[in-house]
Amino acid sequence: MSETISDPEPDLKPIVSPGGMNWRLLIAGVALALALLVSFLATRYSAYRNVQENFYGQALVPAKEAFDFRLMDQNGKPFRLSQLRGKAVLFSFGFTHCPNVCPTTLSDLAKVYRALPEQDRQKVQVLFVSVDPRRDQPAVMKNYVPYFDESFIGLTGTEPQIAEAAKAYGAFYEISHNEGEHQDNYSVNHSAFTYLITPNGKWKLIYNFDQLGDAKNMVRDIEQVLAES
Amino acid sequence: MRRLVLLVLFSLCVWSQLNFADSAPIKVERAWVQAVPEVSDTTAAYMKIINLSSNPLKITGASSPAAKSVEPMITTRKTHGGQEIMGMQSVNELVIPAGGSLELKPGGDHLMIMGLNLHPREGQVIKLTIRFAPGDQKFDLEVPVCKEEPK
Repeated sequence: MSETISDPEPDLKPIVSPGGMNWRLLIAGVALALALLVSFLATRYSAYRNVQENFYGQALVPAKEAFDFRLMDQNGKPFRLSQLRGKAVLFSFGFTHCPNVCPTTLSDLAKVYRALPEQDRQKVQVLFVSVDPRRDQPAVMKNYVPYFDESFIGLTGTEPQIAEAAKAYGAFYEISHNEGEHQDNYSVNHSAFTYLITPNGKWKLIYNFDQLGDAKNMVRDIEQVLAES
Repeated sequence: MRRLVLLVLFSLCVWSQLNFADSAPIKVERAWVQAVPEVSDTTAAYMKIINLSSNPLKITGASSPAAKSVEPMITTRKTHGGQEIMGMQSVNELVIPAGGSLELKPGGDHLMIMGLNLHPREGQVIKLTIRFAPGDQKFDLEVPVCKEEPK
């Protein structure tokens, strides 16, 4: 027993010895870690710079697979986002009884759409998804959404379908009743983002409400997305 | 001809600064109402209101023969789960500081027009009466209906 305890000592020596293999390994390891860190930071920085320089909207890096929602179009037909593969899609959530944010969003998007060169307009589709399916039946959407531009499509659906689509894009909405109001007379508080999906089905950009008014920069983003795909 | 009509409509939206019988000491600039499709019975009026007096003024209400009611509203922006949620809220008053101005604009404070009865089309005007405190001061104006914010 005692022999086995004292025996390993000579074997341990090379391992703990200062000028030995272990030091070199340590230095190589640290150098490798540093190199990895530097290259990681460099890629992140260049991705960051890339985004900063090239897109007006907030970019998702990397772009996400766009959730293929199942809704109903303004003609009452089933509608899936994937039907629009090959086109850049801009869409936002809202409701037709909205006096301020939604008409402004749609009128801004109409301005952007009309500012696109003719040949690019064919490759862009604007959608408006209702978060108020109780009041926004397909016929209502049909009379509302194309008013802003005849190419725009209004979508509605069942409450679970809409909830699923909103959740996938991180959109939020809640019914808001003002006291003493008739039960049909309610407003809907909602997030007012516009999402850009690339022609190959990637969710790439997000715009907040205040960004939509700058048609020039919006057009630049759309053209770049079309050029990249 | 169509071009001419469009041009007239456009200039109406651009140049309108219609001040009528007024008693409230204000000046209104760039007033417009968002044109909405017929299926919608709600819209909003936007404008810049300049208070020419040396006392603060408050918008306490408004009315229009074109709608059931017109209410001063604020747009609320609150954060929920890290993102901004926009909503609106009826308020009893909107304050215009003495010698200052108040901008009613999309995504901000506005006059919400509810229960449109005469459906206003682009290029038409809506009569609007805005009420102010202190006292019972009124300001009448005609606001052009525009499809997008006039530049």
